[in-house]
Amino acid sequence: MLNIKNLEATIDNKHILKGLNLDIKPGEVHAIMGPNGSGKSTLANVLSGKNGYEIKGDIKYNGESLSELSTEERAQKGIFLAFQYPLEIPGVNTNTFLRTSLNSIKKARGQKELDTLTFLKLVKEKASELGINEKFLSRQLNVGFSGGEKKKNEILQMKILQPKLSILDETDSGLDIDALRIVADGVNSYKNKENAFLIITHYQRLLDYIKPDFVHVLSNGKIMKTGDAELGIQLEKTGYSNIV
Amino acid sequence: MKQNYDFKIEKIKNLSPEEIILRKKNLALFYQTGFPNKKDEDWKFSDLNSILGKNFNNISNNDFFPKERGFKKINEFEHNFISLLNGKLISTNFSYEEKNKISLDNFDYKNEPFLENKNSLYFLNNALATGGFLLEISKNYKLKKPLVIYNNFSNSLKETIVNYKNSIILNENSELNLINYINNSSKENFMVNILENIKIKKDSSLNNILINNSKCNCYFYKYLKSDLEKNSNFENYLLSSGLKFNKLDIEINLNEENSKSSVFSALNLMNSEHQEIKTRINHNTPHCHSYQKVKNVLNHESKGIYQGKIFVKNIAQKTDAYQLSKALILNDAAEFDAKPELEIYADDVKCSHGSTSGSIDLNSIHYLKSRGIPEKEAYQMLINGFLCEVLEKLSDGKIKNFLKEKLERQINGY
Ligand SMILES: Nc1ncnc2c1ncn2[C@@H]1O[C@H](COP(=O)(O)OP(=O)(O)O)[C@@H](O)[C@H]1O
Ligand SMILES: [Mg+2]
Repeated sequence: MLNIKNLEATIDNKHILKGLNLDIKPGEVHAIMGPNGSGKSTLANVLSGKNGYEIKGDIKYNGESLSELSTEERAQKGIFLAFQYPLEIPGVNTNTFLRTSLNSIKKARGQKELDTLTFLKLVKEKASELGINEKFLSRQLNVGFSGGEKKKNEILQMKILQPKLSILDETDSGLDIDALRIVADGVNSYKNKENAFLIITHYQRLLDYIKPDFVHVLSNGKIMKTGDAELGIQLEKTGYSNIV
Repeated sequence: MKQNYDFKIEKIKNLSPEEIILRKKNLALFYQTGFPNKKDEDWKFSDLNSILGKNFNNISNNDFFPKERGFKKINEFEHNFISLLNGKLISTNFSYEEKNKISLDNFDYKNEPFLENKNSLYFLNNALATGGFLLEISKNYKLKKPLVIYNNFSNSLKETIVNYKNSIILNENSELNLINYINNSSKENFMVNILENIKIKKDSSLNNILINNSKCNCYFYKYLKSDLEKNSNFENYLLSSGLKFNKLDIEINLNEENSKSSVFSALNLMNSEHQEIKTRINHNTPHCHSYQKVKNVLNHESKGIYQGKIFVKNIAQKTDAYQLSKALILNDAAEFDAKPELEIYADDVKCSHGSTSGSIDLNSIHYLKSRGIPEKEAYQMLINGFLCEVLEKLSDGKIKNFLKEKLERQINGY
């Protein structure tokens, strides 16, 4: 599904990713762990098509070169990024945003767009699964939401947009244990043979709930080590310094 | 100076000899300076003389207009209406109201005293104005439905100027939701110059909305003077995007205690559109509130200006005055000028002002795009969110939705 070869990324003269390789197949859950500043969010941003990076190397998504695609085209083709810091968008109603988003994707795929009623039913159902109060949906997007509410809202978007590749950038940080469990359940219930996850995290904590098939350690812009779920547990005990 | 205009009192019908003398005097005063230019401090940012010079070969007045067919009415909400064609009253409908509570007539040029203003457009209006209306709401009467004033302009106005005067009086404890609707989609260039006098008596409330219905080649000026009595309320919503030029010159006099006024504006300017909002809020008495929030989005080589003045008289203690302007500048060639002015002679007051301008947040655009929303729509969503916020305080839900939809159309370029 995703094949990254020798990826390098530079921004504002800062060379951040320095030759990163990663392969993800449908149905797999990959975790990327690494110290602060190792380039985890940069990888997520680059995959989402954010402007401003000077990029070398090659990224293929289902055989297609990602560099050819705009951010919105990537989303329309099923790439989803749950942001580490979701943005507050004043004046834009959360429901309107969700519907515009879903319908933009459907439209790009030549599918029928959802009418207001069908959409509202869908969004209500998904929101209640995540324990999100309906009132949030009529508020301005992320404006005045707590850290945890913003993260839950990201997972809600994931469940509504139904991506093929979900990249979660530190979705666990700032969540209390209950919220963490709800978010993890949200991910687990969406996991299937066709879709894949790239879970970026700083701590092992989330991986207690979402079992990864692979754990990668990112340091200094490269993947230094790859293992199974055991590697995450080991990292928790020993810290990064012994590995990198 | 280039004389790109040619005005004749003789073109106006049915004037008495005295009127002719008075109008000629005003015309002579206008000719002394011509259209306002940037040497005039009040027109520093809007050099009307040079703007007209670039866009008109010649401007003349005309009092003979062909009869025009009907016009399209708003069908989103039930309303009373007054319809003007080139400033002249052509039809009215107050079927939702008690008849004897509302009086409406042509503006009375012979007997109606008029407000004073020193700029040359004022003299020009005195010289050339015809049409306009006098509206008065009776004591203790609250209109059941909003009143729409259709300001229709015919398509035959090429290179002419339309001048008129209106007067609106809300007697004690009355209430009116007023929508000034500018209705013209003509490609021909023309000019409008309106003087309006509003009196809001004790315990009364006026909601005053100005909205432009479509892109049009109109150069618009309106001077609005209002006087507020005790416990009265005057709210303004200015949504005039789509005019080639617009200057709204608004004077609000808070003359008695506990009167309140607000000015909200949301403008999305395109191409070489030029709009200025100039306010002067006079706190002449203690315990009054004034609030202003002006938002501009500037595309292409458009220009937006906000000159907001708050004047607080020495006796006006416990004044609460606030003003804020925010601009989003989407193109290097676009410009926004804000000139806040506070002139405060009382010591126990709460006055604040702020002004910010910047470009659109690209991280927010990326966030929306990462959800599959195309770039153009992402921009429109952010702009819409930015501008729509000024409508939040409007209490009438139907009007609010109507304005939101219009605003959206304005943002998408009609
Ligand atoms: N726009 C930028 N300009 C300069 N340096 C940046 C920029 N973005 C990120 N960096 C730097 O690159 C490194 C990696 O950042 P990031 O990918 O956010 O790390 P992580 O998510 O792993 O904590 C950090 O040292 C960060 O300060
Ligand atoms: Mg990060």
